[in-house]
Amino acid sequence: MPILAVEGVTKRFGPNEVLKNVTLSLDAQEIRAICGENGAGKSTLVKIFTGVHTTDDGAVLVDGKPTEIASPQRAQELGIALVAQELSLAPALSVLDNIWLGNREVPLFHRRKVLRERARAALEKVGLGDLSLDTPVATLSIGRRQLVELARMLTRDARVFILDEPTATLSDVEIERIFNALRALKAEGKSIIYITHRLGEVFEVCDTVSVLRNGELVGTRRTAEIDRAHLMQMMLGRSMGEMYPRWESKPGRPMLTVKNLHVPPVVQNFNLVADQGNVVCLAGQVGSGAIEVLRALAGLVPDATGEVSVMERPVRLRSVSKAQAAKVQFISEDRAGEGVFLRLHVGQNLVATRLADHSQLGILARQGLRATAEKLAAAAGVDRARLHSMADELSGGNQQKLAFGRAIGDDEPGVLLMNEPTRGVDVGARAEIYRLIRQFCDRGYCLVMASSDIEEVLGMADVIVSMYRGRQIATYRRGEADVHRVLADITHPVAAA
Amino acid sequence: MSDVSLRTRFRLGGARARHLVLAVRIVAGSAIALFALSTPGFTSPLSINALLNAISFIGCVAVGMTFITLTGNIMSLCLGATVSASALIFLASLSFGILPAFLIAILFGVVITAAQGLLVGFFRANPILVSIAGLSLLIGGAALATGGQRVYPGGEGLQVFKGRVAGIPVEALYFFATVVIGQFILSWTRIGRVMVMVGSNPRAAYAAGVGPAMAVTVAYVIAGACSAVSGVLLAARYGSGDMELGTGYDYTAIAAVLVGGTAIQGGSGSVVRTLIGVTVIAIIEVVLLLRGFSQQLQYLITGVIVLAVIMLHTIGERR
Amino acid sequence: MKRAAIFLLAPTVRPFTIMAGAILVLALMDRGTGYFFSLGTIFSVMQLFATIGLVALGLGLSILVREFDLSVAGIVGLAGCIAVMTGVSNPWLGVLLGVCAGVVSGLLQGLIMTRLNLSSVGVTLGGLLTLQGITYVLTENKTIGYPNMAVALGLNEPIANLLSVRSAAALAVFVLAALVMTYTHIGPDVIATGSDRRASRIAGLNTERVIIGVFAASGASAALAGVLLSYSLGAASPIALADMLAPAAAAAIVGGVSVVGGRGSPMGIAAGVLTLCILRSGLSAIGVEPHVHDLVTGGILAVIAILDAPDLARRVTAWRLDRAERQEQALARKSP
Repeated sequence: MPILAVEGVTKRFGPNEVLKNVTLSLDAQEIRAICGENGAGKSTLVKIFTGVHTTDDGAVLVDGKPTEIASPQRAQELGIALVAQELSLAPALSVLDNIWLGNREVPLFHRRKVLRERARAALEKVGLGDLSLDTPVATLSIGRRQLVELARMLTRDARVFILDEPTATLSDVEIERIFNALRALKAEGKSIIYITHRLGEVFEVCDTVSVLRNGELVGTRRTAEIDRAHLMQMMLGRSMGEMYPRWESKPGRPMLTVKNLHVPPVVQNFNLVADQGNVVCLAGQVGSGAIEVLRALAGLVPDATGEVSVMERPVRLRSVSKAQAAKVQFISEDRAGEGVFLRLHVGQNLVATRLADHSQLGILARQGLRATAEKLAAAAGVDRARLHSMADELSGGNQQKLAFGRAIGDDEPGVLLMNEPTRGVDVGARAEIYRLIRQFCDRGYCLVMASSDIEEVLGMADVIVSMYRGRQIATYRRGEADVHRVLADITHPVAAA
Repeated sequence: MSDVSLRTRFRLGGARARHLVLAVRIVAGSAIALFALSTPGFTSPLSINALLNAISFIGCVAVGMTFITLTGNIMSLCLGATVSASALIFLASLSFGILPAFLIAILFGVVITAAQGLLVGFFRANPILVSIAGLSLLIGGAALATGGQRVYPGGEGLQVFKGRVAGIPVEALYFFATVVIGQFILSWTRIGRVMVMVGSNPRAAYAAGVGPAMAVTVAYVIAGACSAVSGVLLAARYGSGDMELGTGYDYTAIAAVLVGGTAIQGGSGSVVRTLIGVTVIAIIEVVLLLRGFSQQLQYLITGVIVLAVIMLHTIGERR
Repeated sequence: MKRAAIFLLAPTVRPFTIMAGAILVLALMDRGTGYFFSLGTIFSVMQLFATIGLVALGLGLSILVREFDLSVAGIVGLAGCIAVMTGVSNPWLGVLLGVCAGVVSGLLQGLIMTRLNLSSVGVTLGGLLTLQGITYVLTENKTIGYPNMAVALGLNEPIANLLSVRSAAALAVFVLAALVMTYTHIGPDVIATGSDRRASRIAGLNTERVIIGVFAASGASAALAGVLLSYSLGAASPIALADMLAPAAAAAIVGGVSVVGGRGSPMGIAAGVLTLCILRSGLSAIGVEPHVHDLVTGGILAVIAILDAPDLARRVTAWRLDRAERQEQALARKSP
């Protein structure tokens, strides 16, 4: 009897079908990996299991019985515990309070010794035995916060544990400890759902793997019976070659020069030369500093220092307007929070940075703006019929194309900085975005991209710069490194840069 | 915030939700219009006059409040005091002539709110706290300057701001001018567009480099100017003034803004909507009066209707 | 020295530092005439505390969960009227009914907010107008007298020359709130809901219940303030307390409640209220004119607003680095 299952589940967000007729089941003492690209539907499935979303069609079965998991509290009652991809700690509270936050077992008067002891035991299992229970979570690094979340998960009296990308911020040693904790849970009779991008981990700790692609279940296999290539084929549905465009990679005129960039507290002494017509990928995980470097170059970091020049002309940091004046455009990793104006029209979004060009004495020339919006929409592949829809009605992929459209310069090509450009974007849109990126290059742009997706880095880069904990590890031209090399660089580099 | 499905009962697709909200608004508006027109005496000159007067004084402040709300700064608790203080400044400056006095009053209102706007815009100081600080400083400053005495006109010329032109009260004309100018700034100028962007997503506005800090400051400046206009009109109407003139205006103004359909979190709304909001509230008050409801019941029913309309506006929308 | 300054200005300690500072300044201004440092002043401070304190507590709790309860001003009036009207022969009945009205008002608004996913400003604004309206209807727009003189006087009777029953009751409520926040899981739940509602919900916390509970408590606290005040004044009137909101919000914020939620405590709020009351009573005890109080309060609030402004540090840092870079470049240009 499977402990947890979904049968024919479909989920829609507005016009997008994020999950289509998905059926899978989980047995006791099974560690199941769920793999899929960005936007395949993994997180949505998790949210259905944990009561954050409800299904539009199909049923969720607990112990074989159709059950409605209407809220996170209900999920907790049913014995489902979660470590979410976005951290769910309350920064203002202590480690102890966070571990017991939202736990139904906690009595009203919660300052009990037994709760402290159980919290301490959980912390030891994840390797934080030396951390004081009263430390405010706000003072912890991302990696330690992730471990506190895992400790919280261990204190839940649950039968099914769901982990969504739990190791992105952890070191090798910490990851091994987590794996041991998971194996211990399995021995106790629990089941685990493990969502990850890291195919190596799938084969190391999971019994079975289910692959989602574009909202559909491709299949479920035993990990002992397949290999990495097979898994990738299932995930991509085509060989990697078709996803990424082909081009002849050659150096060009240096367009962006970065010397001695410091981005407190993570990045020190970063140096880079990026050529026109090239895509430079900064490969690194969360906390590697790749994202912070691009944010600093975009002028968003108030305490960044260093020397930056675009086409020999120096650019001042710490100011967005100065960056834009130097033709440096930025696409944020946080699309909803920083990239797109969700409650404005698509057309208004596209021209957001161009208002000054179309205004006389402060008054807008709306005809001109409309024409520009249409032009930009065409260039970015955004459907012109959607110009008057609200941006929040678009799918993730279309919103990202919107962000690209906004960043296209009028005539003079410049530098385009992109943080995690395909995060949360479905496969079809990803291929389009990759083509867009090459089009920009052909027009003479210089693109610098920060990404934690190694396949993407290998597929798109003319130059790869691997980063780990704020340091540059190595630089490779296209074809000089393979996936193992880059993965090793960004997770456990051997030599210092 | 993407997981709003906890409210699945009210989860409608984006476009469908908007059509529903529009339909509800049209029905509600028609109901109110019907209710009003079927009231005996509503269309009489006396009642129209009362309506226009009620709308004009509070309306100017509400237009100013709209800009503050649109930029995502919720509301100001200081505009009422700005109205009163501008009135006092206007009266005292009449000795310099009618136009200089008007300009001085506007300038005063602008300076008061510009200071607040700079703090809120450039440093992202909490707008409610800043407005309370402004309120205290205004009350204290006014008490210091006037010694608690009423202020009387220092010169001639009040007639320009009261009376009628072609049968319409002058106050209403000033109010409509404010509405037109305000809506023009919002829809047709670059900085008006930036204000909406800032309210919609301040972080994105900052990352896009559109100058959100300046836009917020200008929004506050407009609010100050509008409040000053209201103060001048009130001073002209009553012939003298003290700091009690504008009490309660802040709450009525924000109520008008919300009833009109501008979103409290910013990024969506317009001056025209506030005009509708002010009109709806005033119509309800006049109708209740004409139908013989006691003043207490008027107050209560107006409050309940405001609550209901605010709720209506947000059904189907996200937080 | 610097460490001491950092400690004293830390958000949790700051309210007490400000309070101590206010006492110090007033003591200096007093110049030993004894007008400030007298039992009479303490008594009047505490009387004022009883009036504003509970309203500030309620409002402060709602700010803690990142909302804003505009309706507290209305509940003060309504509860006072209900108590005065029903509590003539049995004062406790009036207290009960008044506080119940507060709880119900908070519950209803909380339910509307959470079930319909509305912002608290809109709902509590409508709530404020509705509550004021109900008060008007009940009182028929007249001031209602409270003939039970024994209660009225008894409430204000000085105990040990420092407190009255009214201010003691207010203090007791603060202590109760502090105990609940510290020793039950309600405290962390409220702070978590305020500091990151989404995260708390994912962790399994029923944030709706927390918010509804906070608004019920806010209503109860403000209602109690209204009841006690009306009893002690011997009358309840619909208009009188319209401007409680600004001092209460100011007190809560001076008391360390962060306006983005997730930070603050009942004792901190008490310190904030005391600071404002000390300034008001103290300044008038010394003979300073009332408008100075407003100016001083306004100044303190403006300073706190600036210090707490999220972008202040960012802009100052950027400006400092820009200046350093410009100086370096100027030096580089001078030396060949």
